[in-house]
Amino acid sequence: MVDLTKVTRTFPPDVQALVDVSLQVNRGEILFLTGMSGAGKTTLLRLISGIEKPTKGYVEVSGMDLSKISRAKIQKLRRRIGVAYQDFKLLPERTVAQNIAVSMEVAYRSRLFIRKQTRDLLAQLHIDDKYNTRADKLSRGEQQRVAIARAVANKPDLILADEPTGNLDAENTELVMNLFHRCNEGGTTILIATHDSSIYNRPDSRVVTLDSGQIVATKLDTDKDTSEPMPYGPGTLLTDCLNLVDKNTSEPIQNKLDRKES
Amino acid sequence: MNFLFAVFSQAGRNLLQTWRTQILSLMTITLSVLIFSFFYLVYTNALQAGEQLGDDLRLIVYLDEEAAPALQEQYREKILKFDRVEKINFISSLQAFNRFKEQLDEDQDVLSDIPQNFLPPSIEVYPVRSLDTLSRIKRFSDYLQTLPGVIKVQYGREWVERFYTFIELLRIVVILSGSLLILTTTFMMAHSIRLTLLTRQKELEILHLVGASNSYIRMPFFLEGALLGLFGSIAGMTALYMLFNWIELRFAGSAMLGMFSFNFFPLPVIAMIIAMAIVLCACGSFSSTRKILSR
Repeated sequence: MVDLTKVTRTFPPDVQALVDVSLQVNRGEILFLTGMSGAGKTTLLRLISGIEKPTKGYVEVSGMDLSKISRAKIQKLRRRIGVAYQDFKLLPERTVAQNIAVSMEVAYRSRLFIRKQTRDLLAQLHIDDKYNTRADKLSRGEQQRVAIARAVANKPDLILADEPTGNLDAENTELVMNLFHRCNEGGTTILIATHDSSIYNRPDSRVVTLDSGQIVATKLDTDKDTSEPMPYGPGTLLTDCLNLVDKNTSEPIQNKLDRKES
Repeated sequence: MNFLFAVFSQAGRNLLQTWRTQILSLMTITLSVLIFSFFYLVYTNALQAGEQLGDDLRLIVYLDEEAAPALQEQYREKILKFDRVEKINFISSLQAFNRFKEQLDEDQDVLSDIPQNFLPPSIEVYPVRSLDTLSRIKRFSDYLQTLPGVIKVQYGREWVERFYTFIELLRIVVILSGSLLILTTTFMMAHSIRLTLLTRQKELEILHLVGASNSYIRMPFFLEGALLGLFGSIAGMTALYMLFNWIELRFAGSAMLGMFSFNFFPLPVIAMIIAMAIVLCACGSFSSTRKILSR
């Protein structure tokens, strides 16, 4: 579904957001992108959605090289990709229903479908009472759920979610993750960039960790995590929780980081 | 939801959201159409008046001697070669004398001692009545002067020249007001759509991000421009019609209006002016969206 080959993205003057990143995401897979702030997660999602262009390397989505296809084809492709942005990108003066409808209107869905889908999604995310509320009157958590509802509304083939649970409590996080899993069961490929270990710490999740624009670790779904659950708390490192290993040397990533620090 | 429905609903939403700007644009378009169509109406009526005044328009070509029938035929051919005419009359010296005598009425005895052939024979040429004739009449007169045996050519030169100058002046005013209409409408529309686009940058960005095609974004603005052109020009024409009726009522029975018949535009001309306003507004809006969306 998504294929990145040796992708580098440099911003002027010489900030390297991504360096030689290669990544394949299969159709129907859920993949979590983790890493510190500034590690390159958002840039990676922007490259996949065609908002950014790579400085070097190739980005292919659904077998199409994004640097070679026309603007019109990118527009068509974007209708098949649902993106939940970290800053939500909602229209403040429009209602919740209108904000969600945008992604379906551009794909010329019927009004009946739009209304039904909007009501259904709002019910799943427990904000069905906000149907006619203006987006700027919502709390951050509600705005985040509206942004997620808009991303999944048009039944896309690929969902890209940037910190989708950043403003949510545990209960709403579960609602959002359930929604993503239902989409995934329907065949949708999902990429989630997150800091929230509670959503990716599942044995069947594939987790890719980025550091300074490079993939430093991959936890494959075949790497069954049999260790005892780690007690989370201040000072707990992400790599401790995941038992991540370097994809090239199979060395635990924590050892590598410790060496780097010393 | 089909494309047209999406475009119409977007355009409706745009108009509702920016109604203050839209009313200003509408008023500008109405005024531009009113100014242009007012002068155009005066111009077309002046042309009609010119044709009515030209009913008595004729050129009198004085000859040095009577033209025999064969020569008359030659003159006729040469005159028709230059321009279409309604009528050509050959007047002999005797006919001219008799006319003159009739005009003198009670004083015709002053002619008793004068020979009946003292007036020169002439040709009366009645050109086809149109403004073109007025503009060509001087050249026509100069041409007739070159014909063999012609002593002098006479016509209401002063009147024709003054009227022609007036019509020319009016034509310039119509062209200027037409240009004003084109410039004002196009720039006003482009500016208003540009302002709308700039205030809605965020919305346009989101539309791009969710995969809206350029035509999905551009068409509502195009439609918005066309609708403003339609309503603005209808309002302008209605205002002009009311003004026309008021003038007719206010000056009914005056000598000036009694002389000529003034008419409002026929339906095809009204439709043409409205269509022109629609096209201009749509073009203004199109150029503006193209500039901003290509960034």
